[in-house]
Amino acid sequence: MAAVYKSLAKTSKTDKMDIDDDAKNGSSSSNGVRKNKQRVLILSSRGVTHRHRHLLNDLAAMLPHGRKDAKFDSKSKLYQLNELAELYNCNNVMFFEARKGKDLYMWFSKVPNGPTIKFHAQNLHTMEELHFQGNCLKGSRPVLSFDATFETEPHLQVIKEVFTHMFGVPEGARKSKPFVDHVMGFSVADGKIWIRNYEIREVAKTTKGEGEDEEEEASSKKAKRGLDNKETDISLIEIGPRFVLTPIIIQEGAFGGPIIYENKRFISPNHVRAELRKSKASKHVARQEQTRDNLARKRKLGLENGEAFKDKSGLDTRELFA
Amino acid sequence: MAKKGAKLTAKAPIANKQSKGVTDKKQKVDRRKSNGPPVEEPVAEANEGEWEDEDSEDDSENESADEEGGVDFSKLEDINDSDSDSEIDSEGEDDDSEADDDEESEIDVDDLDLDDMDPEEKEELAATTRVRQTINNKDALLAALKRISLLPTDPKKAATVPFVYHMTLVTSKPTQDAIPSIDDDLERELAFLNQARESALKARALLKKEGVPFTRPTDYFAETLRSDETMQAVKQKMIEAATAKKASAEARKQRDLKKFGKQVQVQKQQERAKEKRATLEKINELKKKRKDGGSAALGAREVDDMFDVAVDNELGNNKAGGKRGRSAGDHGPPNAKRQKKNEKYGFGGKKKFGKSGDAMSSGDMTGFSAKRMKHGGGAGDGKKAFSAMSGKAKGSKPRLGKDKRKAGAGRR
Repeated sequence: MAAVYKSLAKTSKTDKMDIDDDAKNGSSSSNGVRKNKQRVLILSSRGVTHRHRHLLNDLAAMLPHGRKDAKFDSKSKLYQLNELAELYNCNNVMFFEARKGKDLYMWFSKVPNGPTIKFHAQNLHTMEELHFQGNCLKGSRPVLSFDATFETEPHLQVIKEVFTHMFGVPEGARKSKPFVDHVMGFSVADGKIWIRNYEIREVAKTTKGEGEDEEEEASSKKAKRGLDNKETDISLIEIGPRFVLTPIIIQEGAFGGPIIYENKRFISPNHVRAELRKSKASKHVARQEQTRDNLARKRKLGLENGEAFKDKSGLDTRELFA
Repeated sequence: MAKKGAKLTAKAPIANKQSKGVTDKKQKVDRRKSNGPPVEEPVAEANEGEWEDEDSEDDSENESADEEGGVDFSKLEDINDSDSDSEIDSEGEDDDSEADDDEESEIDVDDLDLDDMDPEEKEELAATTRVRQTINNKDALLAALKRISLLPTDPKKAATVPFVYHMTLVTSKPTQDAIPSIDDDLERELAFLNQARESALKARALLKKEGVPFTRPTDYFAETLRSDETMQAVKQKMIEAATAKKASAEARKQRDLKKFGKQVQVQKQQERAKEKRATLEKINELKKKRKDGGSAALGAREVDDMFDVAVDNELGNNKAGGKRGRSAGDHGPPNAKRQKKNEKYGFGGKKKFGKSGDAMSSGDMTGFSAKRMKHGGGAGDGKKAFSAMSGKAKGSKPRLGKDKRKAGAGRR
C-alpha cells in the first residue's frame, strides 16, 4: 500500500510540477502570479482569558505557516508589531487583543503595507471544549469556502483576501501535509462572519474501497474520467473551533493609517453592558423618584410632623394648657 | 460646507419665521416637504445675526406660533430625517469641489457649533447624523485589495491560475438566504455545513482534475490536529452518552411493561370474578326453574335426584372451559405428612379462649335434664333452687365442662 502511495505521490508531484511550471511561465509573461509565500505571526496581548488562549493555540495548530509568539505587552503601541513581524519574517499578523479580561478583539494585518482589519470576536468555542468527532491532519491544507456575499462589497472582498492569506496554508509550506482533509467555512450572516472548520470524510457510496479509487484515478487520469467523484460521497464532520467575527474597522496601513472602512452596525460590548446596567438601574431610580414625590406630597399636605392634627385656632389642649 | 448645511436644516424654519412671519414659514415648510433642497442661503445668512440673539426669548413664542400655524414639529423632524442625506450631500457637491464623490458619507459633525442650539435640536441633529458617521471608502478598499491580492485582478487571467495555488472557493448563493432565523442554531449550522459541503465537493473535483492527491490513504499516519487523548475523551464521552441513552430507554421499557403487567393482572382478576358470578347465577336460575317446574309434576325424591344431576352436568359443562386454573378456595386434602403434623400439633385455628364459655356453650343444653332439676327443688323459687342445687351439687352428677361435653358430643 505504501509503495502504491509513493509511486502515486511521485506521479502526482511531477504532474503538479508541470502545472507549476506552467503557472510560473505564465506568471513571468502573462498572468503575473506571485509565489504564495505567507507567514503569520500569531500572538495575543496580555490579559487574555483561558478561552482566548485556547482559541489562539487551536488556530496556531491549524496554521503550519504560523509563528506563535509570546504575549505582547502593549495595547496602545500596536505599530510595534510591525517590527516584531519583520523580525520573524512574517508578512501577516494575527493579534488577539483582550480587553477587560472578557472582550476579545482580533487584529488581522498584512504587515508592511496594510491593510489592517479589526474584528470583535464572539461566541468562541475551542476545539477541546466542543466534543466533535472530526479530526484532520495537522498542517494539511484546508479548502477555504467563502459565502457568495464576500464578493458583493469591497470591504468584504478585502476581508476575504486577508483570510485567504491567513487561514489558507500556502502550497508547499514547510510543515504542510500533502492531502486535503478539511474545509474552513466563512459565512456572512447577520452582519457577522461565522467561521467553522469541518473534516472531509469520504463515505463510500459503492462497495469500492478508497485505495482502489485512487489507483483507478491514477491509471485513468489521462482518460479523464470525471465520473470518479460520484463513487464516493463526501460527508462533513465538524472539528472546531467555532467563532464569530464582527468587522469593526479597516485601516489602510499596518496598524496605522487612515480608516477606510468603519462598521456602523457594530456596537461596542461596553456600550451593550452599560445599557444593560442602565436598564437595571432605571428600576431603582424610578422607586427613588416615587419616594421623593411621596415625601413632597406629604409635606405639602402637612402630614410630616403630625401638624395636620393640630388645631390651628389656638384652642388646642396642648396650646391652651401649655 | 457640510457644517453650514447641517445648521441650515436645523435652523431654517426659525429663521424664516423671524423674518417673514408664520404664514411665510408654513409655506416654506410645505416647500421643503415637496422638494429636497432647502432655503436659499442669502436669506438665512442675512438673518443669522438677528435670530441668534433673539433665539432664547422667542422660544415660547415659536411654539405657540407653530401651533397656530398648524405645523407640527414631528412632521418636520420626519422630513429632516428622511431627506437630510440628499440635502446635505447635494449641497456639499455644489459648493465643495474637493468633496470626494466616492466617499459616501464622510461628514464631520464634531466641529458643528452645537453650543448655541436648543438641547432638543441638538438631539434631533444627533439622531439624524449619527447613522451617517460611518466610513466606507470603496476606492481605498479596492486599492488595498489590489495591493495584496494573490490572484491577478483580471478574471480571465485569474481563471488560468490552478486551484491548488489558492484553494479558495466562493459559493454560488449567499448563505444568509438559507438561514431563516439567525437564532435558530440548527438551521444556521446546517446552512454553514451545506456551504462547506458544496465547496468541498467542488474542490475535490478541481483537485482531482489537477492531479493533486486529495484523499488520505488509510496507511498514511501522521500527527493530527487534535491529539489522541482528545479524541479518546471524545470517544469516551460518546460511549457514555450512548450507554446512558440505552439505559434510560431500557428503564422506560421496563416501567411501561410493569404498568402494563398490572393492567393485565387486574383484568384477569375481573374476568375471573365475572365468571364466578355468571356460574352462580346460572346455578340459581336452574334451581329456581327446577323448583317451579318440578314440584308440580314430580315427587320430592325424584326432584332431588334430577336436580343434583342437572346441576352436576351444568357445572361440568362450565368447568370444561376453565378446568385449568384451580379456584382459590378449591384445595384438595393436604398430603399425608401434613395431615400427620396437623394431628400432632393441631392445625391453625384459635387456641386462646378455647375453654372459656361463649354463646354456643351456654346455649348448649346437652347434659342438662329437667328431671334432675325437678328433683332438686320447686319450680316456684328459682333463687332457692339455685342455692340448693349449688349446695347439693356434690350429691348429684355435676354438669360436665365444655370440653368434655364437646368430646362427648363428638363421640355420640
